[in-house]
Amino acid sequence: MNGMKPQKSFAHVPTDGANTAGGSSVFGGQAPSHKKWLTGIKENIWAYVFLAPALLLFGIFFVYPFVYSSYLSFMDWNLYNDAKEFVGLANYQALFGDPVFWKAALNTGLYVIGTVPVSMILALGLAILVEKAGKLKEFYRFLLFIPVVASIAVVGIIWSLLYSPAGGFINQMLALIGIQGPNWLNDPKFALVSLMIIGIWSAVGYNMVLYIAGLKGIDPQLYEAAELDGASGWQQFWKITVPQLSPVSFFVFIISIFNSFQVFSTIHIMTQGGPNNATNVVIYQMYQEAFQFFNIGKASALTFVIFCAVLLLTVVFIRSTQRNVHYE
Amino acid sequence: MAVPTKKIKAGFFHSFMFGVILAILFPLLWMVLVSIRPADQVFGASLFFSTSFSLESYKQVFEQRPLGVWMMNTAVVSILQTAGQVMIAIFAAFAFSYFRFPGRDVLFYFVLVTMIVPLQALMVPTYLIVDTMGWLNSFAAVIVPTLASGYAIFLMRQFFLQVPKELTEAAKMDGCGPLRILRNIYLPVSIPAITALSAILFVTNWNEYYWPLLVLTDEMKQVLPVAITSFTNEGIVDWGPTMAVATLTVLPVMVLYFFLQKNFVESFSQSGLK
Repeated sequence: MNGMKPQKSFAHVPTDGANTAGGSSVFGGQAPSHKKWLTGIKENIWAYVFLAPALLLFGIFFVYPFVYSSYLSFMDWNLYNDAKEFVGLANYQALFGDPVFWKAALNTGLYVIGTVPVSMILALGLAILVEKAGKLKEFYRFLLFIPVVASIAVVGIIWSLLYSPAGGFINQMLALIGIQGPNWLNDPKFALVSLMIIGIWSAVGYNMVLYIAGLKGIDPQLYEAAELDGASGWQQFWKITVPQLSPVSFFVFIISIFNSFQVFSTIHIMTQGGPNNATNVVIYQMYQEAFQFFNIGKASALTFVIFCAVLLLTVVFIRSTQRNVHYE
Repeated sequence: MAVPTKKIKAGFFHSFMFGVILAILFPLLWMVLVSIRPADQVFGASLFFSTSFSLESYKQVFEQRPLGVWMMNTAVVSILQTAGQVMIAIFAAFAFSYFRFPGRDVLFYFVLVTMIVPLQALMVPTYLIVDTMGWLNSFAAVIVPTLASGYAIFLMRQFFLQVPKELTEAAKMDGCGPLRILRNIYLPVSIPAITALSAILFVTNWNEYYWPLLVLTDEMKQVLPVAITSFTNEGIVDWGPTMAVATLTVLPVMVLYFFLQKNFVESFSQSGLK
């Protein structure tokens, strides 16, 4: 970890590393000769050639799907019938009039609010502990990162067994101390929380690694100076560690929000959005509308809504980065 | 006097860390334990202390299910996917880092947008496109839509920006074209980075769930993460064999992670995306 600050890459993206190939004739200090200018054009053609495969694929599998689903959101179509009927805004009306959509939107928000702060706090705690571990630092980091690498499908399966109401490990442990555990995944009060716990579990190691990188970037002299002034460990944490980590925290915060916003696999494997939509989220509802109810129009309307929500969130974040986060 | 206190403190600290790590890794340990116990001992805390050992579950899945086919499918799909993603990313990132051409910044912003928008959000139209092309139940359906990876392009560009400019300038003086500069300077310098990126992409592709779930429905075409969920959809779940498949799904990734851990963790943290 060379003390890199990941968020830098976002902030400085298009300006750093400006290159020289085409620009050499401009900055070379001499009048651009005809030949050099031609070479510039030639080299630029190479740039477009190199970009072509990526841009072509993005066009087919990113831009076009977006345009296509916007179009479908105005159509009534059940996937197996060739006839698409133009229905205006009916799909959007159906979506916004559907209590399941509002339930799913609320659940998505709850899931994000429930997982992001907890996983960040735990990750910071673990990062600080790991940094204090001396020779075993790397080893601990290696172990704590393992859940991130495990397939989310497998994770869902394992936790289904752990949560199982009768013989599952969690309820057996609770029984030992005299508590009768709930039916985690089938009780509307506990189902979403159960999924949040998994979300936190699989995100912590990842956030921890980002925090470890951030901690390494803090100038040790700050702590030495605080030590001389007689600041306690707790004061040092609040007055040095937390403010110094604020860019990293901001980065972790955004990444965590986008990742938890996308939760799908654990829901599909463990609860299918149930019981009674207690774990339905917007991405899952979109899946249900398209692939279970074959209501492509409504699913596409939801796709468009999610897309807009993500873009809006991104714009808000970019603006607040420019305003609030100090990089140096 | 000071030395022993310090040692006790350290001992306490490391036992605490050991406890925390054990708690966090517990679900994965449980998976392995369930997979190597006799069928009648799957439930219960006694499992933890039980000494009985049986590979019955593994034998059972290998005999009753096309496990070899699933493993092969997963390997083929993720290797092809990774190779394609890395190649496309190398060319795109080279264009972004070596050239200065009209539209570069706009196009790069566009790549960033593709990273931010969750692909899950586009699953419906993408499914319809793949269906139109007649790719359902073929590996092309899994591989092609993910070949252009904004994440891979972004990371590769970060690596390429670190290539010393003196090197490229010297090569240009000698009359090297862009292709030769890419091959003789950028690629050799970036080999560790490319290895790390490939490993991360491979793991992500190997673990991919929601997309193969939609486009590969034929049992013989399935990949492990999707195949394993079919075990729990059968009413009464046979946990031993299920966890055997789970263990086999995670194992290759863990081996890779073990050998490339350092690069792996660092590159992961540079990117911001899983």
